[in-house]
Amino acid sequence: MNDTSSSAADVPATEDRPHVLLVDDDDVNLMLTAIALRERGFEVIEASGGEAALEQLEQIAPDLIVLDAMMPGIDGFETCQRLRHRAGYAQVPVLMLTGLDDDASIERAYSAGATDFFVKSMQWSLLAGRLRYMLRASRTRVELERSKFKLARAQDLARMGSFDWRRGNGLGHLWLSPEAMRVLGRGQAERVDVRGLLRMVGAAQRRGLIRMVSEVVAHNAVLATDVSVMLFDGRQRIIHVEAEAEFEHGHAVGYTGVFQDVTDRRVAEDRIRHLANFDALTGLPNRRQLIWRTERALEQARRLNHNAALLLIDLDRFKNVNDTLGHAAGDELLMEVARRLRACVRHSEQVMEGALEAAGSRSHRTLEAVGRLGGDEFVALLPEVGDEADAQRVAARVLESLREPIFVAGQECFCTASVGIAMFPRDGLNLVDLMRNSDVAMYAAKSAGRNVATAYSAHLGGRGRDKIELESHLHKAIEREELVLHYQPKIDVRSAKMVGVEALMRWQRGGVLVPPGDFIPLAEETGLIVPLSEWAVKEAARQARIWQQSFGFSDSIAVNLPSRLFERSDLVENIHQSVSAYGVPHKAIQLEITENNLMKDLHNVSLSLHRLNEIGVEISIDDFGTGYSSLAYLTTLPISELKIDRSFVRDLGITPQSSAVVSAIIALARSLGLRVIAEGVENLRQMEVLHRLGCVVMQGFLFSKPLPPDDLELWLQQTMLPRKAPWIGVVRDTDGSLPRLGRA
Amino acid sequence: MPIFRRPPTLAPLGEEGARAGGAAPVWGAVLDAAALARLAELDPKGKAGLVARVVTTYTQSLGKLLEQLTVARTAGDANALRHVAHTLKSSSASVGALQLSGLCADIERKVRDRQTDGLDAQLEEMLREGARVLAALRAGTAGPQRLS
Repeated sequence: MNDTSSSAADVPATEDRPHVLLVDDDDVNLMLTAIALRERGFEVIEASGGEAALEQLEQIAPDLIVLDAMMPGIDGFETCQRLRHRAGYAQVPVLMLTGLDDDASIERAYSAGATDFFVKSMQWSLLAGRLRYMLRASRTRVELERSKFKLARAQDLARMGSFDWRRGNGLGHLWLSPEAMRVLGRGQAERVDVRGLLRMVGAAQRRGLIRMVSEVVAHNAVLATDVSVMLFDGRQRIIHVEAEAEFEHGHAVGYTGVFQDVTDRRVAEDRIRHLANFDALTGLPNRRQLIWRTERALEQARRLNHNAALLLIDLDRFKNVNDTLGHAAGDELLMEVARRLRACVRHSEQVMEGALEAAGSRSHRTLEAVGRLGGDEFVALLPEVGDEADAQRVAARVLESLREPIFVAGQECFCTASVGIAMFPRDGLNLVDLMRNSDVAMYAAKSAGRNVATAYSAHLGGRGRDKIELESHLHKAIEREELVLHYQPKIDVRSAKMVGVEALMRWQRGGVLVPPGDFIPLAEETGLIVPLSEWAVKEAARQARIWQQSFGFSDSIAVNLPSRLFERSDLVENIHQSVSAYGVPHKAIQLEITENNLMKDLHNVSLSLHRLNEIGVEISIDDFGTGYSSLAYLTTLPISELKIDRSFVRDLGITPQSSAVVSAIIALARSLGLRVIAEGVENLRQMEVLHRLGCVVMQGFLFSKPLPPDDLELWLQQTMLPRKAPWIGVVRDTDGSLPRLGRA
Repeated sequence: MPIFRRPPTLAPLGEEGARAGGAAPVWGAVLDAAALARLAELDPKGKAGLVARVVTTYTQSLGKLLEQLTVARTAGDANALRHVAHTLKSSSASVGALQLSGLCADIERKVRDRQTDGLDAQLEEMLREGARVLAALRAGTAGPQRLS
């Protein structure tokens, strides 16, 4: 019988044809109807009774169902009722086939859930037409349901819901969609009227809202406003209301519109605005906000012809805090500093763009603020000052506010600042000039010893430019071979022998020797210290080779390295390559790291120290005794030598404390098996005391200042060999023998 | 736009009958020509041998239902009587056994309305007419040409 379905070869493919489940106990009718419907473009599944049909529905999902009403067993009505209770069949169109004169069946058909009825006949085209109509209606209905659902879902997602309001007695009638009820935090079963809505609005806002809405409604105007409400569960939300008037027969009958919960959007907008304009750490206005405020302030100052001031506040040695106590402590400190600075001016947190004009001629006062430019740099903007003295007074307040120690990471920190002042219009007419000149003044304050405020002057400007020039030249110093190393001998005073040298960097710039104090800090600041130090190691290795050949030099050249170089993973490799390149042993290079530097990065540095020690590079601790450090590291790190800081040496024989410190260091070094060397030895008295305390290796002007390499050779030949120096012979070897001559 | 294709003309019964295996003259004696023509309309190209198949199905159904009728009559089962009458009413009309269909319609209505008036005589007549149609159809389809 299957070939019957192929009788209409030119009808659409099976999957496009509507699927009909045809149910009839009469084989003849079933067959005929099936054939007729297939002929007319339907895909027909036949079932010979109610049970068979319900069974079929487990397997297939027809687009519509045609049921013969009268069937033995489960008849059409019963079948219809049962399938309506099946999941997914509540909406499938069902056509009930009834007899011609059977009104009772028609009624029963509808009450059983049939979509429609059709009187059995041989009028196949009519049947097919009816089925198509039912399908179309059903599809339209499904689409409608779907788009209704989608709308509800979209509204839910958008935290939106519709409402209708009809004019009427009193406050009129309000209808809220389920979604709108959700927006208001109410259950669907509850009722909310206009009065209930108004109660959600805070009393302060309510009166204004009522006035505004009354005004809008009186003119049938569009209603669009944000209302801050308290939901019934106590949450504070912002609801956007937007509605239009509705008209019937030319009369305004009410409003239809939507509620939308825009709280999250508002919060996000506020947050974005805040992030864009305020520093996340301190909550102060950030660079962008400061620029905006300064520009506004300058506009006003220009217009009203008064002075304004910009104070650049830079914390002194903030890096030390970050480096020694960690970034968390540094952040903590910045927050406290911000809090104190804020109190130094009439700080206005928020400036509304529109509020400036509204506040009248004194409005620029609201621009006054302290902001954070970044790092440890802050700016105080004073939109109106009488004269420089006013600005100086604020600067003094700033310095005073930082006088009290700040308690971070369990300890007290003293964090002073250097303040640079630039006045409008005296020191600049625009933001850029004022910022630059306050920077110049701030650097002048730093040079003046920090913890002071300096106002800009043209004279300072020159120095600022010098610095920039210096920096750009320092960049080129290496390639121009302007850098040189000078060497200061380390002397064993018992044997009057040179036992090593310390290499010190000098910058030969256009015939002038730039002192290290003028460019090393700059190099540290700019990061140039890294290539500079790498160059120094290489140069020292080269020098070791030259001296080895010229006079048999076999000691070490000590090179100072900043801690950041120890953090570099390629340090060991670099040193290895440098000494290999010149064919000198690893121990020809000794590295000096200051105690402060070492303590800053103990963790990062220690791995490098161990690896260096393994290849034979000795480590010397510079400026020992000045750091506030735990001595525990001395026992765990592979250190060979301690250098007693020159400050203790200088005071030797003057203050008893210094000799106490020195003897303690010596005792410590001895107990740990470390060498000890004293720096900055300038006179015989110091030498004698040091020697008496047990320190025999020394360095200082008493013996020799740092010398260019050729001069050092000369010094060896002319001073050491002939033993002509005044200090030679002053002390004797502890074993009592005479001092020996310098090594060959 | 017309949704359905309507066959331009009715296929002559003779042709359809010939294609169905030459049984047409026998069917013609008991089945209405117009009804058969309407059936043929369903299968305008005659490809499916539709008329013959419908008649075969009807013949089987009729045999079965007449037996059920006899049983129901003996048992006095009104529901079963009504069901047989209802089913035979429409299928007989479909194939053109109009006299039988008419009898069934009367009986169905009477059973539904609980009218016993002359019902027995009509049942007797229905059985007789049913048997006549069945005999005629069986004679026509029992031959070697009967479709399988």
